[in-house]
Amino acid sequence: MNFEIALVWESLPKIVEGMGLTIELLLISLTLGTALSVVLVLMRISGIPALVWPAFLYIYVFRGTPMLVQLFIVYHGLAQFEFVRNSVLWVFLREPFWCAIIAFSLNVAAYTAEILRGGIQGVDRGLHEAGRALGLKPYQRFLHVTAPIAIRLSLPAYGNEIISLLKGTALVSLITMYDITGVARTIVARTFAPYEIFVSAAIVYLCLTWLIQRGVGLAERRFGRYVRR
Amino acid sequence: MAVVVEWLDAFAWGALVVLRVFVVALILTVIWGLIGASAKLSDSALARGVANAYTTVFRGTPELLVLLIIYFGSAVTLTGIAKMVDPSVKFIGIPPFWAGSLAISLIVGAYATETFRGAFLGVDRGQVEAARALGLSPGQTFFYVRLPQMWRLALPAFGNHMNSLIKDTALLSVIGVEEIMYAADRATAMTNKPFTMYLVVAIIYLAFVSVIIKTVAVLEVYANRHLERTR
Repeated sequence: MNFEIALVWESLPKIVEGMGLTIELLLISLTLGTALSVVLVLMRISGIPALVWPAFLYIYVFRGTPMLVQLFIVYHGLAQFEFVRNSVLWVFLREPFWCAIIAFSLNVAAYTAEILRGGIQGVDRGLHEAGRALGLKPYQRFLHVTAPIAIRLSLPAYGNEIISLLKGTALVSLITMYDITGVARTIVARTFAPYEIFVSAAIVYLCLTWLIQRGVGLAERRFGRYVRR
Repeated sequence: MAVVVEWLDAFAWGALVVLRVFVVALILTVIWGLIGASAKLSDSALARGVANAYTTVFRGTPELLVLLIIYFGSAVTLTGIAKMVDPSVKFIGIPPFWAGSLAISLIVGAYATETFRGAFLGVDRGQVEAARALGLSPGQTFFYVRLPQMWRLALPAFGNHMNSLIKDTALLSVIGVEEIMYAADRATAMTNKPFTMYLVVAIIYLAFVSVIIKTVAVLEVYANRHLERTR
């Protein structure tokens, strides 16, 4: 068995074409998911049982089930209901792209909410008390004292979550979409050279992972600029 | 819900397959993690380099892609080798069950490597020096001194790895392992009730994950029992 390096060079440009979709899925679901996670974490730490429990349950369910199952429930599952098929939203819900966005956003929101909660819990109690002593209102304390520190503490885990999501986007190749993995699979079906093609795809993913790590690293430096020394 | 009852058998068998994959992959994960962590902490630059490459690649590549590379890649390699021996051979591959277990164990093993590395570093150096002073061999030091002290440090993160492992088994239907996703696919094709069927899959996974979380919590209490008084 020999590894044909030429095939890697041939297939890389085609695989890179699938990268656009991968990045689009990543950025849209990350934005929506992060926005939702802020709502979730506020509910989770609110101390009001009627808000805490739904948030807890949501986070537990979405972290406790595979992303593939979540994707299939949205993509294959929702069509089971006639009212969904008759609704205005069906225009979106029959598109694999939007189903993926919905499933990924909901999934990321659960993980990110838990990450943010960890960050908020990591903020020193003394800072809270200092804020109160300065006469800051609760929302001011949260916005100007707790949140900036919590974000800094959450960043490393959030970076891992972005990478997790990047890897998760490969699942869309199972619902008829041509992202990096989807393109690679069609080329493999034609050439039957799984090593060369899939390894090329892996290289593209590793480059993206590296970029994300660099980006998060820069953000960590920025948010932590007052911590050094 | 009456539809689900008819397919309960299929789901039960599927759940059993998930459990078998989980057990096999868990054992392999621990092995990869221990080897990887030892390599990362070793004095050999080569071992460290290989271990770093391993964790970078397997943590940065999608799980689905790793699975496809191992399943289809191994088939191409094995068929190629077999053809050298006997040209009449058409196709040989690793059975999907084993290819799948290997793939997810390698992925989670990369995460376990980092966890175990941190846990080994958490064991007081003096302990290792004491073991050496007592004349224990490196193997004895590893199994009697370092391992019993590191596992409680690794436990919380390793609980998360076990959850990843069980959730990754959902991918195995892609290469034809007859687990619960596969059961749901079949049930959907027959009944046209995809939401119901995939919901059942979700509930089964949630049950597995809940059991893992509970077990890890119990193990943590057990692992830290010697600290009870000091708290």
